[in-house]
Amino acid sequence: MKFSSDIVIGLEIHVELDTKTKLFCGCKRRTTEEPNTNVCPICLGHPGTRPVLNKKALASALKLCLALDCDLSKELIFSRKSYFYPDMSKNFQITQFEKPLGSKGKLQLKKGKIVNLTRIHIEEDPAALIYPKGMKGSSYILIDYNRAGNPLVEIVTEPELTSPAEAREFLNQLVSILTYLKIFDINTCTIKADVNVSIKEGNYQRVEIKNISGFKELEKALTYEVTRQKTLLRRGLKVKMETRGWNEAGKTTISLRTKETEADYGYIIEPDLSTIDITDELIEVMQKEIPELAQQKSERFVKEYKLDKVDAQVMAMELELADLFEKVAEKIDPKLAARWLRKELLRVLNYNKKTIREIKFDEKEIIELLSLMQTKTISETTAQRIMEKLMSEKFSPKEYVKKEGLIQVSSESEIRELCRRVIKEQEKAVKDYLAGEEKSFHYLVGQVMKLTKGKANPILTDKVMREELKTAK
Amino acid sequence: MLKEHIKKVKSGEIKLTEYVKEVLDKCKSINKELSYFNTICKKEALEQAKEVEEKIKSKKAGKLAGLIITVKDNLCVRDVESTAGSRILKGYKPLFDATAIERLRKEDAIIIGKTSCDAFGFGSFNTNVGLDFEIPKNHQDIERVTGGSSGGSAGITAVADFVHVAIAESTGGSIESPASFCGVIGFCPTYGRVSRSGLISYANSLDKIGVMTKKVKDIAPVLEIISGFDEKDSTSLKHKINLKSDVKKLKIGIIKESLGKGIEPEVKKAILKIIEKLRKKGFICEEVSLPITFKYGVPTYYLISTSEASTNLACLSGLRYGQEEDPKGKSFAEYFSEVRSKHFNDESKRRIMLGTFARMAGYRDAYYIKATKIRTKIIEEYKKLFEKYDVLISPTMPVVAPKISEVKKMTPLQNYMMDILTVGPNLTGMPHATISAGDKEGLPIGLMATTDHQEEGKLLQFLEIIEGLQ
Repeated sequence: MKFSSDIVIGLEIHVELDTKTKLFCGCKRRTTEEPNTNVCPICLGHPGTRPVLNKKALASALKLCLALDCDLSKELIFSRKSYFYPDMSKNFQITQFEKPLGSKGKLQLKKGKIVNLTRIHIEEDPAALIYPKGMKGSSYILIDYNRAGNPLVEIVTEPELTSPAEAREFLNQLVSILTYLKIFDINTCTIKADVNVSIKEGNYQRVEIKNISGFKELEKALTYEVTRQKTLLRRGLKVKMETRGWNEAGKTTISLRTKETEADYGYIIEPDLSTIDITDELIEVMQKEIPELAQQKSERFVKEYKLDKVDAQVMAMELELADLFEKVAEKIDPKLAARWLRKELLRVLNYNKKTIREIKFDEKEIIELLSLMQTKTISETTAQRIMEKLMSEKFSPKEYVKKEGLIQVSSESEIRELCRRVIKEQEKAVKDYLAGEEKSFHYLVGQVMKLTKGKANPILTDKVMREELKTAK
Repeated sequence: MLKEHIKKVKSGEIKLTEYVKEVLDKCKSINKELSYFNTICKKEALEQAKEVEEKIKSKKAGKLAGLIITVKDNLCVRDVESTAGSRILKGYKPLFDATAIERLRKEDAIIIGKTSCDAFGFGSFNTNVGLDFEIPKNHQDIERVTGGSSGGSAGITAVADFVHVAIAESTGGSIESPASFCGVIGFCPTYGRVSRSGLISYANSLDKIGVMTKKVKDIAPVLEIISGFDEKDSTSLKHKINLKSDVKKLKIGIIKESLGKGIEPEVKKAILKIIEKLRKKGFICEEVSLPITFKYGVPTYYLISTSEASTNLACLSGLRYGQEEDPKGKSFAEYFSEVRSKHFNDESKRRIMLGTFARMAGYRDAYYIKATKIRTKIIEEYKKLFEKYDVLISPTMPVVAPKISEVKKMTPLQNYMMDILTVGPNLTGMPHATISAGDKEGLPIGLMATTDHQEEGKLLQFLEIIEGLQ
C-alpha cells in the first residue's frame, strides 16, 4: 500500500451493544454479580447447546451500518473463528468473516475529512481472564464467563488516520453516533480499540496495539508508540512487526508477541445459525429508526438558530447537550443559550469531572438562570456561581436569588457611591492607574464587585468607575 | 403395535411400573451379551413410570403414555450421562433435555437408556467406539457388526420383544447403515424437521434426528411428536410435517450407479427382486442416474463433516465438563493437549486432523469451500430427478454386515467408501429410510428410499408398500 502522510493509523473498534440479553442466549448482558453467576449452558459452550441470534443486536448493528453509509450484505451469515484460548468456551468465536454485515462505510470528521471504513460486523465477546498475581507473576488464571457472549460490533477503518489526535476525534465522533442511535450506553457498555500504527521513517512497518479503552488512553498510547518508533529509528534500530499492549499505569506500550505470519483461524460457516436475509423491507424499517445525527443537527443549528459553526458542532456532538440546548432555546435567546451551555456548563462539568448525564438539574433550572441573566436581574458572575452550586444540588435559581439577595445592583447612584469609596480607600491603585497601569483599573472594579458580593452591574460599574477616576485626576 | 400398547397402558391392562421393570431387566441381560447400551437409566425410568401411572389415574396421560424409548448417546438427556460414545465426555450429565426428548417426555414416553454409537457418530460400523466402550454385536451373528454409527439403536430395535422406538441420528448414513444390517426400519426425516437442540453435534449442517422401529406404522406417531419448529434451533423447519400421502401410483427411480460395481451380488439380487414385485403391482420403475453424487459424494461429505466436526470438538478441552487432568505446572496448550490426546479415540483424532486441514488458510478454498459448492450441485441433481419421480431407490449398504475383524482390517478410505450409497440423501437433507428387502444367509439386506424435501408422507406411503410385499 502507498502512504504519504508521516503517520498512518488504522483502528479496529469493538463496541458492546446496549441490549438486554447476550448475543446468542438469554443471559443478561449486564451483570454486577459474582463471577460466573450470569451464565447458562449456551454461553458456557456445553455440548448439545446451540446459539440463537438476539434480533435486537442485529437491529442495532444494522442501524449503525446505515448511519455510517455502509454497503449492506444481502444476507447475514456467521462464521466460526477457531483458536484455542481459555477465554473461549467453545474454542471458537462466532463472528463474521466472508460477508460482513456492512462494508465500505464512511465517517466524517469535524473538518470535513472522510475516514473510510473497511467493514462492520457482529461478534460475541469472549470471557474475562483474571490474573490473580498479574500477567507475568500468576501461576494460574481464573475465568469469568459473565460477559462471555455479550454482543459486540467490530468497526474496522482503512489506515487513513494521520495523527493520534485524529484517532481520538474519530472515536469521539463514533461514540456520538452510537449514542444518537441509542444502541450504546456509555455507562454500561465497553468500547475498546485495537490500533495499528506505522510511520514514514520506518517504511510504514506496522505495529499493532491491542485492547485500549478510553479516548484519552487511545491518544496517549498512539503518541507514545509514534515516539517509540521514531526513537528506535533515530538510534539506527528497526521497527519490528509485532503486537504490543498498552500499559495504562506505566503509560507505555509493551511487546506481547512478535508476529511472523498471520494467525490461521480456519474459518467455516457457522452451521447452527440459519442465514437471515437482509431484505429491502427490513432496511426500510431500520432506516426510519435512524434519528437526525450530530452532523445534520449541527448544520441545522447554524441555519435555524444562527449559531456559530463551532458552537453548533460542540452542542450537537453530545445528544444530551443538544437536547438540553433545544429545550432552553425555546425560551432563551439561542445564541446566549449556546454560548452559556458551551462555555459555562461544560467548564463547570469539566471542573467537577462530571458528564452531562450526571447533572441533577434540567432545562427548567437553566431557563430560570438564563432569563435572570437576560433581564439583567443578576450579573454574569452571580450566574456562574449559581451554576457551580447547581452541580451539587437541585434548587430554583429564581428563589435562591431572592432568598440570598443576589439581585444585581443597577442603580447608578448606588454604584457611584461605591466607586468613590473605593477610589478613596485604594490610593496606590489609583496612582498606578493614573500612571497608565490599566491592570489597576480592573483591580478597582474588582473591589466594587467584592463590596457587592458580585452583584454590581459590571458594564455600569465600568462606566461609572472611569468617570469617577477622571474627576479624581 | 404401538397404538395398541398405549391403549393397554392407559386402560391399566398393562401395569406400567412392573412392565418397565421387566423391560429394564431384559435390557440388562441383552446388554451383557450384545452391548447395545452405554447407560441404562433404571432409577429415572422407574420414577417416570410411576409418574405416568399417576397421570393415567387422573386421566391426564399424554399421547405416548408408556411407550418405551431408547436414545442414542449423542442426544442429551437431563441428568443422565451423555457421552456421545466418547471417554472424553465421561461424567457429562447435561442440565437439559434435547428438544426431541423433552417433547417425548411431555407425552409420557418412558426413556430407559442411552444407546451405543461410534464416538461422536464417527463411523459406519459402530466399531469406532470410545476408549473403554464395548463394540455392539449383531444379533444374527455376534462376530459381525451392527453397523453404525447408531448401532445400539438398531440392535435394541431388532431384539426387543417389547414395543419400543429408538431415537437415533444420522449425519452421513448413521441411521441407514445399522438399521439395514440389523434388519429394522430406519427413518431419517428432512434436515431441520426435528430440532437439533440437545444433540451433541458431529456436523451441524448434516445432523438429523430420526427413528428406528420394527413396523412402518409406528413411525408416524413418534415423528409427529418430535418434529416441528423449535426456537432453540434456528435451523429447525417452520413448516408442519405432513405424514399422509395417497399418491395413486408413485413413480419410482432406480439409482443406476447403486447397482453397479462394488455391490455384493446378493444385495443386488434382493433389490432387483423387490423391483420386479413393484413392477408386477403396476408401479413405474425406471433407471435414473446421479453421476455427480456418485463421483464426488463421499469426498464432499467427508470434507464438510470433518471441517464442522473439528470445530465442534474444540470445546472438549478438559474444562467445565467431561474428563479432566491435573493442570499443575502445565500451560493451557499443554493441558488441553494432554486431555485430548488421552481421551479421544483414533478415529476422533483422524477426523479432527482431516477437518482442521480442510479449513486451513491455503487449503480452505480448494477443500472446504469447494465441497460446499459441490454439495449445492448434488442437491440440484436430486431436485431434477424429483421433478419426474416420487421416490428414488437403491440398496442401503453395498454389503451385508461384515465381521468386526474384517472392518478392523479396512483402510480408512475403504471404510469411508462404505457410505457411498447413503451420503447422497444426507448431503441433500432429504428424507430417506431403509427397510428390509431380504437377507443373505440370515443377514439382513436393506433397501433405501429417498423422497424430496418435506415429502415424509410419500416416504411412509412407499415404506408401507414395501412392507406389504413381504
